[in-house]
Amino acid sequence: MLNIQTRQEGNASVVTIQGKVNFEVTAQLRDVIRDTVTTQQPKLLVINLEGVNFIDSSGLGLLVAARNSVDKNNGKLHLCGLPPQVKKTFDQTNLTNYFSIFATEQDALRGA
Amino acid sequence: MTKGVVLVVDDEAQIRDILGFYLKRAGYQVLLAEDGRKALDEMDKLQPDLILSDLRMPELAGDELCRIVKGKPETRDIYFVLVSAMDGSSSKIGGLNLGADDMITKPFHAQEVMAKVESAFRLIAMQKEIKRQNQELMRFQERMTAELSLAARLQIGLLPSIPGQAAGIRYTHRYLPAEGIGGDIYTILPAVDGGVALLIADVSGHGVTAALISAMVKTFFEAQVRQGGNPLTWAQAMNRDLTRSTLSEQFATAFLAHLEPSSNTMRYVVAGHDAPMRITQGARGGSLKPELLPGKGFMLGIDEDLPFTEQSCPFEVGDRMILFTDGLVEVEREDRTLLGHDGLVQVCAELPRDAEGAADHIVDKVRRFNDPMAFVDDVTLVVMDRV
Repeated sequence: MLNIQTRQEGNASVVTIQGKVNFEVTAQLRDVIRDTVTTQQPKLLVINLEGVNFIDSSGLGLLVAARNSVDKNNGKLHLCGLPPQVKKTFDQTNLTNYFSIFATEQDALRGA
Repeated sequence: MTKGVVLVVDDEAQIRDILGFYLKRAGYQVLLAEDGRKALDEMDKLQPDLILSDLRMPELAGDELCRIVKGKPETRDIYFVLVSAMDGSSSKIGGLNLGADDMITKPFHAQEVMAKVESAFRLIAMQKEIKRQNQELMRFQERMTAELSLAARLQIGLLPSIPGQAAGIRYTHRYLPAEGIGGDIYTILPAVDGGVALLIADVSGHGVTAALISAMVKTFFEAQVRQGGNPLTWAQAMNRDLTRSTLSEQFATAFLAHLEPSSNTMRYVVAGHDAPMRITQGARGGSLKPELLPGKGFMLGIDEDLPFTEQSCPFEVGDRMILFTDGLVEVEREDRTLLGHDGLVQVCAELPRDAEGAADHIVDKVRRFNDPMAFVDDVTLVVMDRV
């Protein structure tokens, strides 16, 4: 089961994802992220992955696409709360160096 | 062209005449029968779209006729309206329970009957349309299934034939796509300098899109190898090609390598892929120490400017390399654990000497580890021995 929540924090949009992110749910998640980016045009998009226990290649692709669409609006994408399993996937694919990654949502919002 | 065929069943001639008159005037073809038995005879000649039947008749009453009509698959879809002198909701419910589609109580106005007939024919038209669309969908699905299985056969044709050999190596593979066709691909071909080039890749996503991109990945790789160069230049060029020709969320993880038999060395780039396992003297049997090759890197196709790094390792006569896609090690078991790389290292610590036996052994052990969960992602496994 995938649970997605979005909220505004000042100029930033926060998307919180919980559950298993694989090809079965990417369409749903893609819609939420696209809607958030087009309607809010956030300067900062924070995606909180704290509750994600698995992410497959289509999930990673979605995050890359999210970064690209935020870039186009001159915004930034910050990821936070990567659980160990997800962190391992990011390490293996060097994505740790592609995304701005923060330990907590507070850090991600501050951009520190 | 009539609007449809209506069968009027009533033992009173006067009612048959009145209904017949109105129905004909409204443009319907009318069949008349004085009881249920005769109605069945009429139906043998021409199947009606709608039956208006009296309930009480001497030979085969309306309820019996309804049961017969609704009980046979070939007549089940005929719209059945029971006409009954009994008023009250209980008899109506009784009639509908018999399978009648609607009820009319006697005495009735001809206009009321006509209104019911018109609305029934609207429903009949809708049902016919749904049935037609369903048949169309089923034909479409059959065609898609046939095309997918053809595509699956073609895709298997893209893989090297096995058992295969190239300068200094022998190899075999096991390929298990998740949905008939998949996003895994591998290829082995001679490099222009006399060595061997090899690629194993896994395209994000599943199904047709992933399969098409996997064919592109293979083509891009082979085009690069024919131009010379090394794994690093191949990875850079393929990354550029894939970034330009796919959507931003589509990419491929890949392991690209160049083997030089003369120097017993393999140069390679890990692009977001699981690094293969090297088993020193693995093709000679005995106690084995499998080790995952070091290295990591970005996947291909997300951004043109990303850097890649090349590494090298010894690959000497008697050594074995196990290449695989993540579908092999990432099946979530019921207790939510995965085999993972450590598990695969253990599986590969005891392998038969011959490559075919080794490939079967790995798939079998992994399947048993996951049991009862099946592989959910495409799985490709290549066993490559240095000879």
